Amino acid sequence: MGEDTDTRKINHSFLRDHSYVTEADIISTVEFNHTGELLATGDKGGRVVIFQREPESKTAPHSQGEYDVYSTFQSHEPEFDYLKSLEIEEKINKIKWLPQQNAAHSLLSTNDKTIKLWKITERDKRPEGYNLKDEEGKLKDLSTVTSLQVPVLKPMDLMVEVSPRRVFANGHTYHINSISVNSDCETYMSADDLRINLWHLAITDRSFNIVDIKPANMEDLTEVITASEFHPHHCNLFVYSSSKGSLRLCDMRAAALCDKHSKLFEEPEDPSNRSFFSEIISSVSDVKFSHSGRYMLTRDYLTVKVWDLNMEARPIETYQVHDYLRSKLCSLYENDCIFDKFECAWNGSDSVIMTGAYNNFFRMFDRNTKRDVTLEASRESSKPRAVLKPRRVCVGGKRRRDDISVDSLDFTKKILHTAWHPAENIIAIAATNNLYIFQDKVNSDMH
Amino acid sequence: MEFKLEAHRIVSISLGKIYNSRVQRGGIKLHKNLLVSLVLRSARQVYLSDPCPGLYLAGHPGAPAPPQQPEESAAGPPAGWGEPPPPAGRAAWPEPEPQPERPAVPEVLRAGDSEPAATVTAAGDTLQGGEAEAPEAAWRRVEGPRETAVGGAGGPAEVSGVFPEGPEAARGPCGCPPGDEDKLSAAPRVDGCRASRPAAAEPPASPPVCARKRGAGWVGGGPADCPAPGSTPLKKPRRNSEEQPGGAAAAAEEEEEEEEMETGNVANLISIFGSSFSGLLRKSPGGGREEAEGEESGPEAAEPGQICCDKPVLRDINPWSTAIVAF
Repeated sequence: MGEDTDTRKINHSFLRDHSYVTEADIISTVEFNHTGELLATGDKGGRVVIFQREPESKTAPHSQGEYDVYSTFQSHEPEFDYLKSLEIEEKINKIKWLPQQNAAHSLLSTNDKTIKLWKITERDKRPEGYNLKDEEGKLKDLSTVTSLQVPVLKPMDLMVEVSPRRVFANGHTYHINSISVNSDCETYMSADDLRINLWHLAITDRSFNIVDIKPANMEDLTEVITASEFHPHHCNLFVYSSSKGSLRLCDMRAAALCDKHSKLFEEPEDPSNRSFFSEIISSVSDVKFSHSGRYMLTRDYLTVKVWDLNMEARPIETYQVHDYLRSKLCSLYENDCIFDKFECAWNGSDSVIMTGAYNNFFRMFDRNTKRDVTLEASRESSKPRAVLKPRRVCVGGKRRRDDISVDSLDFTKKILHTAWHPAENIIAIAATNNLYIFQDKVNSDMH
Repeated sequence: MEFKLEAHRIVSISLGKIYNSRVQRGGIKLHKNLLVSLVLRSARQVYLSDPCPGLYLAGHPGAPAPPQQPEESAAGPPAGWGEPPPPAGRAAWPEPEPQPERPAVPEVLRAGDSEPAATVTAAGDTLQGGEAEAPEAAWRRVEGPRETAVGGAGGPAEVSGVFPEGPEAARGPCGCPPGDEDKLSAAPRVDGCRASRPAAAEPPASPPVCARKRGAGWVGGGPADCPAPGSTPLKKPRRNSEEQPGGAAAAAEEEEEEEEMETGNVANLISIFGSSFSGLLRKSPGGGREEAEGEESGPEAAEPGQICCDKPVLRDINPWSTAIVAF
């Protein structure tokens, strides 16, 4: 039931020994397009790789619906800000697909400072039979032309062409952490640590600042924006999350500058859990609207929470992702793992939510049955068409045979980026530099 | 006591992170550094609130108080010597508007020891406050009038000295809670700072001057930093706003390099810092500082008059977090 696809050319001998990974190959974002036919990944080296789902064919039933590489291109290059002597990383922070409006596909990709709009087109025909040029394109000797012909389009091998159509630069002083395309298909927003800008897809030389939480005195800074997203249906609503664990729903109709939120979603802190690191673990690393638009999903370090837009006081559901780490926060602070920003995802029907964890584990929570599972994305455990075996982390007490103890978790293997196909039970899991794509062919309940 | 050690350790780790963040590719990450500064503040609070008698060295605890007092007099109740002054929050560090800022903070500062929780202001001033203020003010005094050169030098020396070693120095488990009465009575050197008290008029003069100088650089960054809505932000604002963090972070280490700060050239600061650090060492009496620096000497090993390794940590907390926040 499971199958995996490697997106990176990895020297297997290295991996066997030390899991040596070229930093540029580390996947930094994964995103399905609106139909699920295409899957885009961005990496730390500034490259974007797009996979396309092969149409199911009766002749090769065993390979139906597999994802193959469709296109690869270099989206961003490292830059240097000479004024500040700062290097701007080429790492792709986010990719967002635009709704498809013609034969071409378009996506937005962003690094820390610059957003680019890419157009992906296919070419499978080419004109042949020019009068003035021969097959190689060289000019013909006119004396040899005896008659005129009309060039015709002949089929050719499929060629995928990617071209940058827009470059939205110089919009952000701080590091861009998220972009989101509006449901009006004309505008999109980009958020950095302190500001959110609204862009028009066709206009690159200016943007509107719609949220600005930069204090007049930077010493008064207490929170930053960590993620933001437009509502899937209401083009005037968007939400942004903060490092303090709060969500703010803003209505662009209310004012030009949406510093004043329409709704503030915040859960009071549990005083019994207070520690040095309470603020860090309450910082929201990702926020996603449900497909229905009724709920929001947030991820902080230890939990995922489902919020109802109609209730601001607290989330309606809270799921523990890896609560066994609560006692290890100090070590995780030392090795910087506590700053990891995990993403979360809804399935197509908003009934299951998914998020990543450490040791190449990822977790799924069924909101209806309240059951959850831990799965592992690894070469060893994922042969093609193998069924993923649920894993368990034991925290002392009785230990079953295949349990992993908390102390033997590999914190360098973290699944930060996951994506769920918009309609089917297909998930894409980015494990460092590997991309795993799992399909649920049986389409049964979550274990 | 365990909390204190734990807090101390966390403080040193945090400082190390802030220090390393400067050389990270892609520039300083605001979010991460903000979180680190919050941890730093929490750890500092715990550290200060955990009474630990007799396990600290004489040192600077009194130092921050005097310089601040004159400024704060308008603001808060001068709590007197018994208070553990330094760490409590005085936003010393890069102050666009130093004067109005300080009075507010010292109040918090006073309350600091008795009510650690109360010192947590949204501004993070608690952390930034006294520590940075003390050495900074002291340093300024050194630059201006030099009558308290010893005490003054001791201040910034501690601050700056810590940085090259970073966590190591901070790890010296001096465990001296600043502001403990014994400390106050013991250290002659601290008294050097205290001696400045009578010259209370001086400190306010120099800090404002320096602050103004610093303020110029900072203020320039402020208003210019706001990109006109709907327009492409100019390079200048970006330069100012992002130069500040680099400058601030480095300047946190290097309080005496206020002039440098405006250039925001971190690399220069480090090299300058190195050379001036040795200069500061020479100034400090008995070179006790050098021994304290970067060594895991127990508090018992220190004698009154020696600057506790711990103090740099405490002092540093403020500049660091202020620096981070200022970013």
